[in-house]
Amino acid sequence: MVTTPRRSAPAQLDWPLPHPSWELGARLDRELGDPADDAGVHSYQESIRLDEGEEFPAEQLAALDLWGLPEYYVPAQYGGRLTDYQDLSQLIRMLARRDLTVAIAHGKTFLGAAPVFLSGDHAAARRLARLVRRGARVSLGLTERTHGSDILAGELTAEHHGDGLRLNGEKWLINNATRGRLLSLLTRTSPTGGPRGFSLVLVDKDELPDGTYRHLPKLRTLGIRGADISGVVLQDAPVGADAVVGGVGGGAELVLRTLQVTRTLCPALSLGAADHALRLAVGFAQERELYGRTLAELPLTRHTLAGAYADLLLCEALNTVAVRSIHALTSELGVTAAVAKYLVPSVVDDIVAELGALLGARSFLADHYAHGRYQKLARDHRIVGIFDGNTMVNLYSLVVQFRALARSFLAPADHRPRLASLFDLERRLPEFDPAQLVLVSRYGSSIMGTLPAALAELRAEAVDRPALARAAELAEELDRTARELHERIATCTSTVGDAAPSSFEDARRYSLCFAGAAALGLWLHSHRAAECGPTGELWRDGLWLEAVLDRVLRRQALGGPARRSAPAAGGATEADLSERLEARLIEQYQRGSLFSLLPCPVAEGPVSC
Amino acid sequence: MLSRLNDTPCSGDPAEGPRAHGATPDLGCADVAVDADAGERRIRERVAAFEELLGDPRDEGNPFGNAALLDADERGELSAEAERALAAFGLNDEFVPSALGGNLDRIDGLARVLRPLFRRDASLGLGYGVTSFLAAIAVWAAGDEAQRRRTADLLRGGGRLAIAYHELAHGNDFVRNEFSARPDGSGGYLLDGRKDVINNAGRAEGLVLFCLTAPPGQRGPRSHSVLLVDTEGLPEDAWRVTDRYRTVGVRGCQVAGFSFERCRVPGDALVGRQGGGVETALRSFQITRSVVPGMVLGGADTALRTVVRFATSRELYRRSVLDIPHAQATVASAFTDLLVCDSICLAATRAVHLLPEQTSVYAAAVKYLVPKLLQDACYNLSIVLGANFYVRDGDYGVFQKHVRDLPMVSLGHAGSAACQATIIPQLPRLARRSWTQGTPAPEALFRTGGGLPALDTDRLVLAAEDDALVASLLAAADRLEGPGEAGAELAPVRALVRALVAELNRVREECLALGPHDRTAMASPHAYALADRYTLLLAGSACVNVWLAQRQDGGAGGDGEGFLANPRWVVAALTRVCRHLGLPLPEEADEHSEWMLAEVLGRYHEGRSFDLYDTHLAGPLVDDERAAARH
Amino acid sequence: MPAVTPLEAEYRDWLVTRLSGYLRRPENDINVCIPFSEYGMDSVAALSLFGDIEDAFGLYLEPTVAWDYPTIEALARFLVRAGKDGEL
Repeated sequence: MVTTPRRSAPAQLDWPLPHPSWELGARLDRELGDPADDAGVHSYQESIRLDEGEEFPAEQLAALDLWGLPEYYVPAQYGGRLTDYQDLSQLIRMLARRDLTVAIAHGKTFLGAAPVFLSGDHAAARRLARLVRRGARVSLGLTERTHGSDILAGELTAEHHGDGLRLNGEKWLINNATRGRLLSLLTRTSPTGGPRGFSLVLVDKDELPDGTYRHLPKLRTLGIRGADISGVVLQDAPVGADAVVGGVGGGAELVLRTLQVTRTLCPALSLGAADHALRLAVGFAQERELYGRTLAELPLTRHTLAGAYADLLLCEALNTVAVRSIHALTSELGVTAAVAKYLVPSVVDDIVAELGALLGARSFLADHYAHGRYQKLARDHRIVGIFDGNTMVNLYSLVVQFRALARSFLAPADHRPRLASLFDLERRLPEFDPAQLVLVSRYGSSIMGTLPAALAELRAEAVDRPALARAAELAEELDRTARELHERIATCTSTVGDAAPSSFEDARRYSLCFAGAAALGLWLHSHRAAECGPTGELWRDGLWLEAVLDRVLRRQALGGPARRSAPAAGGATEADLSERLEARLIEQYQRGSLFSLLPCPVAEGPVSC
Repeated sequence: MLSRLNDTPCSGDPAEGPRAHGATPDLGCADVAVDADAGERRIRERVAAFEELLGDPRDEGNPFGNAALLDADERGELSAEAERALAAFGLNDEFVPSALGGNLDRIDGLARVLRPLFRRDASLGLGYGVTSFLAAIAVWAAGDEAQRRRTADLLRGGGRLAIAYHELAHGNDFVRNEFSARPDGSGGYLLDGRKDVINNAGRAEGLVLFCLTAPPGQRGPRSHSVLLVDTEGLPEDAWRVTDRYRTVGVRGCQVAGFSFERCRVPGDALVGRQGGGVETALRSFQITRSVVPGMVLGGADTALRTVVRFATSRELYRRSVLDIPHAQATVASAFTDLLVCDSICLAATRAVHLLPEQTSVYAAAVKYLVPKLLQDACYNLSIVLGANFYVRDGDYGVFQKHVRDLPMVSLGHAGSAACQATIIPQLPRLARRSWTQGTPAPEALFRTGGGLPALDTDRLVLAAEDDALVASLLAAADRLEGPGEAGAELAPVRALVRALVAELNRVREECLALGPHDRTAMASPHAYALADRYTLLLAGSACVNVWLAQRQDGGAGGDGEGFLANPRWVVAALTRVCRHLGLPLPEEADEHSEWMLAEVLGRYHEGRSFDLYDTHLAGPLVDDERAAARH
Repeated sequence: MPAVTPLEAEYRDWLVTRLSGYLRRPENDINVCIPFSEYGMDSVAALSLFGDIEDAFGLYLEPTVAWDYPTIEALARFLVRAGKDGEL
């Protein structure tokens, strides 16, 4: 696989940077008001109050409806404003940076509605679109009390009855099961089950007769305490035949295809949480005095902050490419989504832990420092690695594809997807076609496949620009690591019962290599334009790329699928990298920008010094 | 200033108390072996009795059961019933030296006795008990006879002490403490200032306060003092307890603060010398930092046990979760990490007795490393638990409580960076003096039981003079390379120890190259990384030497053939240590996942602890026949 | 039931060998009429079979082929047809 040579004539630009999706996110943030203003509905203080009372953020959700957020859940073909998934990703990210409970409670409607929108059942999609645009909440019911993430063990049944179906059974641990009006339920339609034994049924509770359903009590959860995580029990609940979406027996496939899209959007929640954590940590480090200096002056603090920032940018680069690939590399989303959904929440869990240590006691106090925002976001964020496919599920879905992934990397087929628009932030993305979603990527990962050619391109650029030399060295090591990894996994023959623990470790390593490849592609294809923008210094001399590759390789060196980050290492070049990166971090902080590769003001505005 | 926690048979007339004795401690004079067995027996009996009192965690009616403790946690309270039971048990006796009528004579024993409580609930562990110990240790180390007697009486009567060394605004930089105690001109002091985030602030009868006693402008290492204040005698209008802090973990603990305004206290409140506060604090920390991680380990035991219960009973993809190799490996690794942690806890607590001159660095190392490893292990375990991790009640709700509690009890009075900062300045000297030719630790350091010389807090010095734990790693390496241990079955241990020694040499080179700025708060991230690697090497040394001690003669508490004498656990442990170090694993490395998992399941089903001691736990045996049969 | 043709037998043998490798079971333990899932090959793992078949026989298949033909017997019979019809 090769990367397409970049065309750079400005006349061909689909849109200039800054990117419209980042601008849309900034607009939402601005219009929600300054979160530090305690009087606002969308203020930090209000979030904390709701969390403590375990109160559903109904007012916040209503305000988001008014703003028009549900429009972005509905594909344009069904009357909404969803044309580019980057828009939705940035909107979720900006909401999440204030309050994960609100972001999840509202965004859950997209998760619930997505299978219908992606099913190709236009009549059902249009019906649902109308309701969603009017503010109806939709929830996704996959899991049951005793089966956890093994959704094909579900026991909620749908049996034919007259012209329609009757539903019996229970779904549990369902976000908005009580508050949601509509439920997308995975139901068993064949007594023997199996991958063709399930169907997706869209239930409108408003249309169910009394007594045919009841709610299970809201669960008390570690984080997102205000969220409505509950369950529903159906007893002879009648639905029409048209409630089955995606055909009888097509439920598992529809759900798995849909999850590829939703799993690609979940990392936006983590990016928002990481921004929140880092903003608190930088603020604290700047004001806190210790040993006669501010904490921010201590080398260890600067190193920790720069490391967290590099991790955040790593996640953003991966996530940006992953979200763009919904449009531009749909057929491989099964791989891409699993990587993003595993890696981004895990890395952000690390960021939260590391910065928590920096904050010390303040990260545990419920109301003393910054309203106790840190401890809330730390608890809230753990849900992101759990729902919509947890770490084990995502790593395992990579493990079963190892042979195909290795085959396509080591002996690329004559398969040349058009990747230029994938990596080039100035290019308009092709329209997303859900029919292109397949359960397993036939050609492995073309994103990973770009690595050898991208390395050559970076080396070539480094010839004239010595500042890129270190990034090129790191890319070379990444390429070598990736090659060794693919050679090792080529022989893997695994099923869930037999997958060696080392194969999960390999899946973790695969995800890291993938993230490195995505970052490399993004930088190569977008740096010329981005260097001229307000975040240009991050892009110049490959600064962020070097930092991100450094983090990728550092994590490669450590064992364990979820092992925390490495201890700080040494070296003059590294100290220099860390300092240059930290300068950008502080600049974005003081300007009141999102911690991001692209410009995006946050509603707090600049920090007065 | 002499202070001893306990009296040995030859320490003179007991009536005169320890202070009547000369300044030179006589460690060797007690008949350690004879005394020791009695001491060891007492510890075991006390652990067993305590475990019995705490009872079945799954019994809904048990005040120490999961249901009651989760409920108390939700309410942000310590259960009064549980506290009464602890008082009736005389838990505070564990914190009072035997010379003063209590049970405290061995620091390793203290960690072991408290571990069952932390296995249930860190809030009770801290809020009922350990906080008082953290405060009292300054009195044992530096107080006069009257203060010691008063403190002993208070604790043995079920009273509480609060400790206020830090101020929120100054964190670990506690020399900058603003809270002042100025001489009032008539022999007493006037207290002024605030202390924040103090456990039991509102309900302790005695306060141990770290105060600035020097005049303004003369701030330095001799400008602070420790005061022991009786809250009952304080003028009511001159002090108050400030609002409670709510915390995300140990929610039951009553954390608040104090505010004093020209509050007069008598002169006899001074503990030790005026100006001796920093030294007293630092010496006290050596004991508290050594002992607390060994208690906290209990919480991780429960976290692991909870995940094993989940994984053996839950089906996923038509198997039990524990049939999934990744889950097996996570469980086995967590258990291995617990053994690694307990090994270093063992060495650190026994070092307080055996190597007091070296304790400053080991205390910081264990306080740094153990919480970190335990938190990482819990993170990995949480992934096996999946969505059940997120639910606050029900069968597995206790897991998330321990996950919230663990970082808080670990932070306590020393975050990880503060511990590293204690270690870093000592590294170059230790590297130069001890890492090639130091004297190995006595074998007794690594025994899981057995007597110890009396504790002598005067021998705790602020900078370590030698590094016996590193020397013991080198000695183990020599022994394994020698003819006595030439067996092929030991090849993996040999290879792993060699890898650790090679790493030690690299760390040594880099420590020798540390610049002067690395001795200060401006230390480079690289210096912090060296401290991290050093602590892992200490853990590796502890593991291999614990195993060798068991192999040697069964040690006290081992039979020479039991689990701990088997080379497989130490291979697994050293492999984990190498992984944590990010070292390329020698070919012989092996986590022995299956074998370790079998041990985990055996202990789980038979109700035994996941630590070096393998003690019996209260409650009925796990009756999950199906899972038992399968494994 | 029609007799098993040599081609179908070849597919069956290949699948038996393949499954025995994945599942680490002896070949004679594998019954061609029993669904893959009964052997512990879950639905996610079953999705990876199509790539192996494509590699071995050059047949272009949907990833869900092992869902739609969940036993060796059914899958082998389908592969015979797929080979005749070219790409399905």
